[in-house]
Amino acid sequence: MSEAIRPAPKPRHVLSLANLLRRFGPLLGLLILCGALGGASDRFLTADNLLNVCRQSAVNALVSLGQLVVIITAGIDLSVGSILGLCCVTVALLMHGGVPPLISVMGVLALGAALGAINGILLTKLHLPHPFIPTLGMMNVARGLALVISGGFPVSELPSGFRFWGAGSLGWIPAPVILVILFSAAFYGFLSRTTIGRDIYAIGGNWQAARLSGVPVDARLVLVYALSGLTAAAGAIVLAGRMNSGFPLAGVGGELDSIAAVVIGGASFLGGVGTVSGTLVGALIMGVLRNGLNLLNVSAAWQTVVIGIVIVAAVWVDIVRQRAVG
Amino acid sequence: MNHSAPLLEVRNISKSFGGIAVLEAVHFDLRAGEVHALVGENGAGKSTLMNVVSGVVRPDAGQLLWEGRPIQLEGPRHARALGIGFVHQELALVPQLSVAENVFLGRHPVIRGFVNFRQMHERTQRVLEHLEHRIDSHRPVAELSLAERQIVEIARAVVFESRLIIMDEPTAPLADRDAEALFRSIRLLRVRGVGVIYISHRLQEIFEISDRVTVLRDGQRVLTQPTSQVTREELVRAMIGTELKERLGSAVASSAQAEELLRIQGSIRLTVHRGEIVGLAGLAGAGRTRLLEWLFGAARAAGSEVLVSGRRVKLRSPVDAIRQGLALVPDDRKTKGLILGASVLDNIALAGGRTRFWIRRSQEERAAQQWIGSLRIKAAAVSQPVVYLSGGTQQKVVLAKWLFAGARVFLLDEPTRGIDVGAKAEIYDMIRTLARDGAAVLMASSELEELMGLADRIVVMHRGGIAGEVTRAEATEERIMHLATGGSD
Repeated sequence: MSEAIRPAPKPRHVLSLANLLRRFGPLLGLLILCGALGGASDRFLTADNLLNVCRQSAVNALVSLGQLVVIITAGIDLSVGSILGLCCVTVALLMHGGVPPLISVMGVLALGAALGAINGILLTKLHLPHPFIPTLGMMNVARGLALVISGGFPVSELPSGFRFWGAGSLGWIPAPVILVILFSAAFYGFLSRTTIGRDIYAIGGNWQAARLSGVPVDARLVLVYALSGLTAAAGAIVLAGRMNSGFPLAGVGGELDSIAAVVIGGASFLGGVGTVSGTLVGALIMGVLRNGLNLLNVSAAWQTVVIGIVIVAAVWVDIVRQRAVG
Repeated sequence: MNHSAPLLEVRNISKSFGGIAVLEAVHFDLRAGEVHALVGENGAGKSTLMNVVSGVVRPDAGQLLWEGRPIQLEGPRHARALGIGFVHQELALVPQLSVAENVFLGRHPVIRGFVNFRQMHERTQRVLEHLEHRIDSHRPVAELSLAERQIVEIARAVVFESRLIIMDEPTAPLADRDAEALFRSIRLLRVRGVGVIYISHRLQEIFEISDRVTVLRDGQRVLTQPTSQVTREELVRAMIGTELKERLGSAVASSAQAEELLRIQGSIRLTVHRGEIVGLAGLAGAGRTRLLEWLFGAARAAGSEVLVSGRRVKLRSPVDAIRQGLALVPDDRKTKGLILGASVLDNIALAGGRTRFWIRRSQEERAAQQWIGSLRIKAAAVSQPVVYLSGGTQQKVVLAKWLFAGARVFLLDEPTRGIDVGAKAEIYDMIRTLARDGAAVLMASSELEELMGLADRIVVMHRGGIAGEVTRAEATEERIMHLATGGSD
């Protein structure tokens, strides 16, 4: 039949330059960036420094995993930075109050997930028009509570067993990097190997069609925002451990860093698209950029300018790339 | 101006995409005051040809003549400036703005730097009256019916003094009666000397509205004739290249004794038996889509209860409905039926593969391959995104999803909308096979011919209720329209 003359699009697994670019574009960007910084500063490409970059990127990487799942559903979570701050203070206060570190950590992970779930419930049950609204509200509420319960002061000197997850190492591998690897593996398996993961991509791709195919959209969205809260809490544990302190302004701007990492990693705000590996690369690009600019003695003010430009450039490159693929 | 020359002439136009010829030395011409129908299956090259005419696509070879003079279209803007208008299938209107604002979108009349609303509304009213439609120019487009929105698009083309208007399947979303209003406007355009290129899959209306007809097949022109000199069979043969076997063939054996799979009782009463196809007729807005979506747990309605296989069930959500073996093929597969960016496999497995926690990729792939084979889904691979598939193939993917989910009661809402003739025949076969294999089918369609050919019984809806029911034997177009327009039984 005449449909045969329609140019048959190539299946995804075909090796072509466009496909390779699409898949490995962010990774290529990271490698080029590393090469350039290595040329500019001889302190950049050292094992110590690279491990340091990984350690510094770990918090954003964790938070970004949750943000990724939200963005795949075509949503956005503005509250992760504040949830991170509240969890950071809470875990420190719990341990100062004599709660064992392990219980404190579990409690704070539950707290993060619960706050995220509230975001999801507000979104689906109150029929708020866009996730922007409930998560913007939560962003303020959580930050405010962090300041209230800490009185605005950092809660310092934490148990050494707890600090391991932020500052320790297993052999030469920083402990937070191990945590990121574990979380990434779990999120990868969840998103690409379970039917719930497929539901999540379907909701982002076309929530109407997903609903009419039997996907319980509301329940899935509550889960998605709970996961985002959970990874924010995990980020809080790493940060508090590394700084040896729970401080109420932890994670200010963290929501934007995580959104940037997810988007640089190739996810689409339109939903339905995004990978764990891309997001990890996105978080590393952010970390490498900050570290490299530090080594080159670029002031913090100018770093902010550069990162802003990189975010826009990354998304623009992605759009050009997609147009080239068709 | 040369009066003997046609308004537009296309000579030897060729166009390839990625080495594949989509148009091969195509001729086409349109006279002023003529309605020239353009037909062909999906992928025959109609859209590309129209994109050439409207300046969107630049041809590889060939010539365009406008009133006898050769022209080079620089782009869509240039085509618009010449007076070539396009009434899109997917309407390009802004729902929040008023009728008049939409008509003048991008070219608001200005007085001292401000939009001249008075003039805008006056001119819009005048054009609408000329088109013999009473639509208040102040109303927001969101409040209008699909049919009225189309009139607004036509009004826009008239206001911009288009001399050639391309209409791409304007009646696809319309019920027959609304289509009639559209035809009236087209005839008025014709009297004004506007040339209309009319693309449609509905052959009946080609005969009703067009002066000449051109058939494209595989990128080549296979026929151009005055419409009055061709028969329906000749057209179909030209389109698909072979004799089309009796599309709406033999009736399925009557199944009145079979088990009742679906029963609705209350303010709406309706039953569908195992192996039976029940048609749902009615004008646009009669409530067919609402009824089907309510049955599927996706829309609220009151006053009726549902029994599946004789057991009373509460269908509060699509999840409940799917658990009871129901399937919905929605009226709009792009917005409700498919995840366009996802693969064929993920779309097929979305409903049926949800019962487990882990995805069983190899099992799903085997099942998907099986449906791809038996439904003849033309996809390069199961990993191919469905967005690239033709309308008919996409619809088969939607059906495959429900077959994979093991559905027994199929609710089909306009299952052949926007699908070419060849694929339609395949969809009809699939629907018959479903029924023969013991499914119950409840099928809404705006094409009476289709319902009369397929359904064992036809239930006619009017204003949200059931106006009456006719068996296959007693179904005539007049009788169904009588019921659909509120006539009593």
